[in-house]
Amino acid sequence: MDDVLTETPPPSRFFDDDLDNFAIASPPLPSPFLLLNPNPKPNLLIVAISPLSRSILHHLPSKTLFGSLFLPEIALSGNPLVPSANDKSFNLYSAGNQNTCLASVQYNVSPERSRAVAKCLIGGVKPDQVVIFDCIKSQNYRGRIEVDETLAFKLETKQQRLDKGNLSVSGVDYLPSGSVMDGLGAVILTESQMKGIKGTLVATWPENGGIEVLKMVFKNFGFDVGRIEGGVSKVTSRADLDLYI
Amino acid sequence: MEFAAEEGKSFSSDSHTLLLPALSIGNVGQLAIDLLISSLRATKVGYLDEPSVLPCVGNDAFAPVPQGDLSLSLEAYESPMHGLALIQQRSPIIKGMMVSFARNMAEFIHSIGKKHVLVLSSLDSGRRKQIDASSDLQIYYVSSVSDDGSNPDCENLGWKKLDEYDSSQRRWKYLDSLAGGVSPADEELLTDEEELTESGYYASMPFSALFSCLKAQGLKVTCLLCYCSEGDNISDSFQLAHAACKFVGLNPEKFHGNEGGWMIPFSWKSVYGPPPDMSLF
Repeated sequence: MDDVLTETPPPSRFFDDDLDNFAIASPPLPSPFLLLNPNPKPNLLIVAISPLSRSILHHLPSKTLFGSLFLPEIALSGNPLVPSANDKSFNLYSAGNQNTCLASVQYNVSPERSRAVAKCLIGGVKPDQVVIFDCIKSQNYRGRIEVDETLAFKLETKQQRLDKGNLSVSGVDYLPSGSVMDGLGAVILTESQMKGIKGTLVATWPENGGIEVLKMVFKNFGFDVGRIEGGVSKVTSRADLDLYI
Repeated sequence: MEFAAEEGKSFSSDSHTLLLPALSIGNVGQLAIDLLISSLRATKVGYLDEPSVLPCVGNDAFAPVPQGDLSLSLEAYESPMHGLALIQQRSPIIKGMMVSFARNMAEFIHSIGKKHVLVLSSLDSGRRKQIDASSDLQIYYVSSVSDDGSNPDCENLGWKKLDEYDSSQRRWKYLDSLAGGVSPADEELLTDEEELTESGYYASMPFSALFSCLKAQGLKVTCLLCYCSEGDNISDSFQLAHAACKFVGLNPEKFHGNEGGWMIPFSWKSVYGPPPDMSLF
């Protein structure tokens, strides 16, 4: 039975089709593919999924477009010849002195397609380290969450946690136990964990919040973010949750 | 289905029985597996990567003070001292891929040498035909030991065989064909009318796909089932986990020598979200 207020069921509930062995699967889609020129071998792959991280990436100086990831079902009509922050694209840029690949995910990747996209990206770029910027979804966060409060958390692969080197995301707490991240960011981190790659997922709330954390992380990885303006918002990185009494 | 073992870890030959949740109303099977992993202090053996499972990641669900140990959609745990392996599933299956998932899972379990699988699942109370005073506490089962699904060991524990399991019914036979990798002939294709039968409904549930596919791999499989409604299903998970322990001969009070008792997973502190905002009142 659908939730009476909205079609989306609460996180613990299933639609009938979710539990039906005989539900009809969607027709298979062609695999995503990467076009790269030249083929990179970056040390670091930064994947910007959240709108604010994409905006920061777009304003970073001295980056060079070298490739794009295509999902056959995403129409490219309407995209300008020159990449923009608002077109429907998944462009890859080389930047930084540390051999970095920047990926800006500017179209919606459905959860069902995200695994194929992640494998295509990681398999094609073959980074030594991955940093993903994504947003917390309210239905996946088990603590109290206010729209006017900024939160920032991280999740790391085992390889990243064991590496105490300089290129890591510091000053951000781990996502509280019980809350989850899903979608493309989650599966890129999953793929990194399975492949033994150093990986970090930085999750912020709300969609346009956490600019100071994002700028701090970009700066830590050698990017000049001094000229990027944005609302200065006090970032709370807390793991305390209101608990049932 | 790919498997990535934690460094230095592998499945032990001492863990001959594997426990597995089936997606179901109230997520009871998954909650029961969480409770068992926590209480048995099972250790993580590795991660499973399956195309049909939607992705999710989170912090460690069990440690009293989570240190950032990553949790993924499908994970394998083991407690060799109790002779048990466990697989936990934290996210749904892509629509239409349940049988594919069950086939891949069964092939994996067969490949790691497990002989007996316990599938934990719940059933919708709204589908129950008879309700009596003990209905809420009754455990039902389906077993591969005999063709009609019955098992004397389960009967001796006071459990009832699920009456709606009928291996001769079209939907169950259709499922067995799919589990065996055989494409049913056109005349065997299902009709909507069959879904209206109770037996047809139960054959459509995820635990049935796992049951059929595990049987097809030659594994001994027992499904433990309890009826519940959607809501706070923690107590249902205790009931199912307790039943699993009874079946494998474990006493929850003595999980670790003279110590034991259920250990609530740390992540359950927020399983249903935060309490209501009291400033409203």
